[in-house]
Amino acid sequence: MTMSMEYAAREAAGNLWRNRLMTITAILTVAVSLSLLGATMIMRQAVAGVTVNWGKGVNIIVFMHSNASGGQLQAVHQQLASMPQVSHCYYVDHQASFTEMKQMFSSQPDVYQQAGLTASEVPTSYRCSLSNPKDAQVVASTFQNQPGVRSIYDPIQQANTIKNISGIIQLVFVIIAVILLLSAAVLILNTIRLAIFARRREVAVMKLVGATNWFIRIPFMLEGLSQGIIGAIVATGVVFGMQAALGYLVHHTHSALLRSLVPPQHDVVTTVIVVFLVGMVVGALGSLIAIRRFLEV
Amino acid sequence: MISFENVTKSYRGSILALRECSVRVEKGEFVFIVGPSGSGKTTFIRLLLREETPDSGQIWLAGREVTQLAPWKVPYLRRNIGCVFQDFRLLPNKTVAENVSFALEVIGRPKHVVTTQVHQALDLVGLGKKQSRLPHELSGGEQQRVAVARAFVNRPLVLLADEPTGNLDPKTSLGIMRLLDRINRTGTTVMVATHDASMVDAMRRRVIELEHGELVRDQARGVYGYST
Ligand SMILES: Nc1ncnc2c1ncn2[C@@H]1O[C@H](COP(=O)(O)OP(=O)(O)OP(=O)(O)O)[C@@H](O)[C@H]1O
Ligand SMILES: [Mg+2]
Repeated sequence: MTMSMEYAAREAAGNLWRNRLMTITAILTVAVSLSLLGATMIMRQAVAGVTVNWGKGVNIIVFMHSNASGGQLQAVHQQLASMPQVSHCYYVDHQASFTEMKQMFSSQPDVYQQAGLTASEVPTSYRCSLSNPKDAQVVASTFQNQPGVRSIYDPIQQANTIKNISGIIQLVFVIIAVILLLSAAVLILNTIRLAIFARRREVAVMKLVGATNWFIRIPFMLEGLSQGIIGAIVATGVVFGMQAALGYLVHHTHSALLRSLVPPQHDVVTTVIVVFLVGMVVGALGSLIAIRRFLEV
Repeated sequence: MISFENVTKSYRGSILALRECSVRVEKGEFVFIVGPSGSGKTTFIRLLLREETPDSGQIWLAGREVTQLAPWKVPYLRRNIGCVFQDFRLLPNKTVAENVSFALEVIGRPKHVVTTQVHQALDLVGLGKKQSRLPHELSGGEQQRVAVARAFVNRPLVLLADEPTGNLDPKTSLGIMRLLDRINRTGTTVMVATHDASMVDAMRRRVIELEHGELVRDQARGVYGYST
């Protein structure tokens, strides 16, 4: 038994080496397609995190000019209070905003220290919850040209924009990944076909002396499977690379939105598992079809 | 040991290769199958190996019905049969010893068994000293001896040879025939399909003659043809 396993492994490795150019092409195609698949999954998880992060409470933020007059503040406050869509509102004053900003840029204090910002120069804001988050657009448009209002921040809409864009990117990635996976299966099929052809004499002798069908097939199966798995290993490296890059981006960005993009670690594990499974399926599929069509046992 | 019962085999539905053929071969016999080209000799051997299945009739080998065997059992059937062909069918990139041991390794025999049996088989065919050579470094006769060693190394019940001397000169052919005879004396049943009249005449063993797929002669200590 151990001898047969040893034999199968040796045969598969020998075949891979003999057709190394074809093998590398097949492995790279698998790796690229699986990387795309992994990227799509990471993107999905990261974007899903956006809603979770902004979903609790605050639906809209009205930023005021730092020098807005008391009357202007009062007007905005009263208008917000009177709107039926707004369920709850609170004011973040100069001091609180300054503290919040310090926290935001804790890793790069020079951003505000060099500018010599003082608390009174930081914009204040109203943070509001809506009874129905879909009304954010309506509420935002009311304050668009209001005196004293600096800008209106609509996290839901921002998140939706990101989701729409990323949705399109994901779709494109998945389509490309599927096409590449099919090509990868065909490439693997072809390497196995060549291996079967190169070893037709050995196969004929094996059949004659009574080697079992599985004994004859397994080296070719292993060959296809290992191409899928090696491709998956490469793609796993790429997935972890992307995860690290995303992490770096998130920790060094000023954008609160990007900060919400950190995919939790267990999602990466899911991605890696899926990448491996798909790699194995593609490898197995390619070799099975080749064995069915070109290896008569 | 081997029994054909009313075996009929046609290719592509029309060409009759074997017609209502019935033969019994006992354990330890040495049998020549003779007949003109296209008479069905190779077909007989392929049916026994279950490389083909007959249209009708039964084929028995060592108490098992070959035609009824489940496909996954066919390899185990073939482990009881050694085969030698006109074109040797050695693996060109393997040495003599590797060619012979290959036959045992691929059926999962343990290493120590492989080593001793390969050694014995190569000694039997007289190639112990040339075991590290590649096939192309051997004469035709020596290559055929390697093929015989490979066919015999697993101690099969039956040794089948399809024109084993077809590519060899008379003197070398005689050597191969002596070798097959020696193997036969170990108790192995040997069947040789051949056109080689002088060989059949020299050996004086049982002769089965086919013509157009029909068994036309079965003679205990026969010669190649009646004409001589
Ligand atoms: N695979 C095949 N497909 C179609 N016809 C075949 C096939 N194999 C053999 N035949 C036909 O079956 C008949 C018997 O062939 P077989 O090879 O058994 O003859 P043979 O006695 O071995 O001949 P030879 O002495 O030339 O080797 C021939 O008419 C041959 O053309
Ligand atoms: Mg023939």
